[in-house]
Amino acid sequence: MAGLTFSPEIRGQFSAIARVRWQLFINSMRTIRGRMEIVARGFTFLAFGMGGIVGSIGIGFAAWYFIYSGKVDWLPVLLWPVFLFWQLVPVMASAFTENVDSSNLLRFPLSFPSYFLIRIAYGSLDPSTVMGSLWLLGMTVGIAFASPVLFLSAAPVLLLFAVFNILLARMLFTWAERWLARRKSREILGVLFLFMVIGFQFIGPLVRHYGNRSHQPAVSRVFAEGLPIERLLPPGLAGQTIAHSLRREYASALGSFALLCGYALVVLWLLNLRLRAQYRGENLSEALARTAAPADRQQIRLGWSIPGVPGPVSAVLEKEIHYLSRSGPTLFTLVMPVVVLLIFRLSPGKSDGAGGLLGHAADLAFPLGAAYTLLILTNLVYNSFGADAAGVQFYFVSPVRFREILLGKNLTHSLVLAVEMVLVWVGASLMYRPPPWEILLATVTGVFFALVVNLTAGNLFSVYTPKKIDLGALGRQRASQVTALVSLGIQAAVLGLCALAILLARAFHHIWLAAIIFVALAAVAIVIYFLVLKRIDAIALQRREAMIAELCRA
Amino acid sequence: MNASAPLAAPAIATEHLTRRFGDLIAVQDVNLRVAPGQFFGFLGPNGAGKSTTIKMLTGLLAPSSGRMQILGIDLTQDSVEVKRQIGVVPEGMALFGRLTGSEYLNFVGRMYGLDRATAAKRTAELLDFMQLVDQPKALVTDYSHGMQKKLALAAAVIHGPKILFLDEPFEGVDAIASNTLKSMLQNMIARGATIFLTSHVLEIVERLCSHVAIIHRGQLVAQGSLEELRAGVEAQAAAALNAAGAPHEIGASAPGEKLTLEQIFLRIVGGTRRADQELSWLG
Repeated sequence: MAGLTFSPEIRGQFSAIARVRWQLFINSMRTIRGRMEIVARGFTFLAFGMGGIVGSIGIGFAAWYFIYSGKVDWLPVLLWPVFLFWQLVPVMASAFTENVDSSNLLRFPLSFPSYFLIRIAYGSLDPSTVMGSLWLLGMTVGIAFASPVLFLSAAPVLLLFAVFNILLARMLFTWAERWLARRKSREILGVLFLFMVIGFQFIGPLVRHYGNRSHQPAVSRVFAEGLPIERLLPPGLAGQTIAHSLRREYASALGSFALLCGYALVVLWLLNLRLRAQYRGENLSEALARTAAPADRQQIRLGWSIPGVPGPVSAVLEKEIHYLSRSGPTLFTLVMPVVVLLIFRLSPGKSDGAGGLLGHAADLAFPLGAAYTLLILTNLVYNSFGADAAGVQFYFVSPVRFREILLGKNLTHSLVLAVEMVLVWVGASLMYRPPPWEILLATVTGVFFALVVNLTAGNLFSVYTPKKIDLGALGRQRASQVTALVSLGIQAAVLGLCALAILLARAFHHIWLAAIIFVALAAVAIVIYFLVLKRIDAIALQRREAMIAELCRA
Repeated sequence: MNASAPLAAPAIATEHLTRRFGDLIAVQDVNLRVAPGQFFGFLGPNGAGKSTTIKMLTGLLAPSSGRMQILGIDLTQDSVEVKRQIGVVPEGMALFGRLTGSEYLNFVGRMYGLDRATAAKRTAELLDFMQLVDQPKALVTDYSHGMQKKLALAAAVIHGPKILFLDEPFEGVDAIASNTLKSMLQNMIARGATIFLTSHVLEIVERLCSHVAIIHRGQLVAQGSLEELRAGVEAQAAAALNAAGAPHEIGASAPGEKLTLEQIFLRIVGGTRRADQELSWLG
């Protein structure tokens, strides 16, 4: 245990950080907005906590059943989803993941091990960590109930598996942050991703080709052939260690455990590389990747001119596009709808493996992708000034009305959504099949209605509950918790209305009827949008102090 | 010394300007008058209300009560028209960190209503003047503090404002850049612009400003030309010396010597606080 004790200086630093975070939490309750944030955060934490607890009961019961009924080899079936959830969620939903700015810590005489531990500890309350830990705890309890003796060997294995997951999630996050920060690596990732999407066109024919060679269904065949590989991967290894222990095959158990330790050490080393670079004061700046052009090559560049759009509005649009195009994390988030379609395409579905989860309803691929696109735009639309930070002061000292500024931002978000919709359409068409025209029409009109509603609400929330974000760093785009909760409520309401319209259209056996309903709803939403836009100058003036205080804070 | 002669059409005028933050009165009953073409220094100790006043004058903060007129236009009635006439370098500099310097100036120019060609031309001229052309692709967030200050100043003047509000413009700026800024500001004054600046560097204020106001604990305690302020303080000092047993106060000059702005400032705001306690643990 001697190695785990910390020097008084390190203990002092840890307790100082804990104390200052607690003090910040207490101080945040001084304002109404701060109290609302805490309530909203409480709700979010409760939701994730409930998911964790309910999931842990389910997983615990399943683990108990597997051990009790002698199906110990099935444990990886539980460990794989935990592993995938733990690793994919922080990257896919980076808005929910906390990524602190370490530069504030680096000015203190902090040793690297202390810095390392603090960075790990900061992410300990992420939804994926909380839920994953609870699920593994449930699993441990389930195993203990089924076989108290096995608990002694299962507990350290699952603990190691949890540590491995924590380290791997942090490692993936820090490396993704590194890759997304630079334009060149971002472009390489983009090209690889494009190849991957196109490559999936070949999966169906390949699976059918190999599936036809034997009487065995393709998925079962792939599963059987993949099992030896699966056993060498961390979730398989963790399951194998427990299974070997139950069978008293201690040498094999030790071997699997050692291999799992090896994985953890490799991940630790890779994480160490990133964190050490940060500790040395690494600057992941976009500009550093570029070379300074000679002064004589400096040319006068004209700003954008968009026909029919007033100068200030197109200036805002141009500025917003510059911001988005330089934000690796945002671009990464924007490709997520296509990634989700890809995941659905990959997942086991029909027996021939040709359709994935949407195998029976390929026409839904486009509407689902479009709905997900709307969801990920929430962070941008509901916190329009978040990335402007201190720049928001300029809006208040410039002779441009807030309605024009928001119009420019709304135009940008609409443009992004349009591009996203095209990408989703291309993705859905390549991976599944092009959606029928009536579904295409209903989806486009439905998304248009939802967009107008979201822009209206987003403009209000951008002014009422802004939150400073950093578009340059992964995991620092989290909007205010109040905004996140309310926007989810609005999305649910919009989705409910859309579902109602589709049900109505289906009752009449004409899906295109839904499009007419959506157009009518959008017309009402547009009226409300302009009414809000008309009032937004007065609201912004009334809220200017709170906005500036929040967005200009260090 | 508080009341200089009223001017016909002040560039900046406030009447009973007051701002409260809960129970705290940050600015109380401030009556300012700045004539067109003046280089006006607004001074005060930390927390005196300088930034609060400049924020109210530029539309970043609403006053609790009182009136403000910029070039004869009521700021609360027609804020957009006022904003067209003024340029501002606020406390936080109001920069957009993820744009390049050139993109930022272009953006600001167009927001002030300049056409694309003019905005681009002035952007190139300003970047050249401020010696910011060396790193055309660097993002503003990667600029040094001094470079950011220069960029903020360039943005504040791109539309040729009639009044320039500067909150601590020389803070963190090197000597070369400081000289560039000073000459630019003096040229603006020569062409008839009005400049209202706050600064803690009293030597610079003394060298640049023709008129000064001092705010202390939210109240305007002095306002006028440097000579008027000096005369007032000297008169007070003479009266104090005539009184029997009067101590030699901090900030007093030797007989026959002209009082510096620093001495005037210390006399007015009562700079009697000293580092009485010795911090023995300091190396």
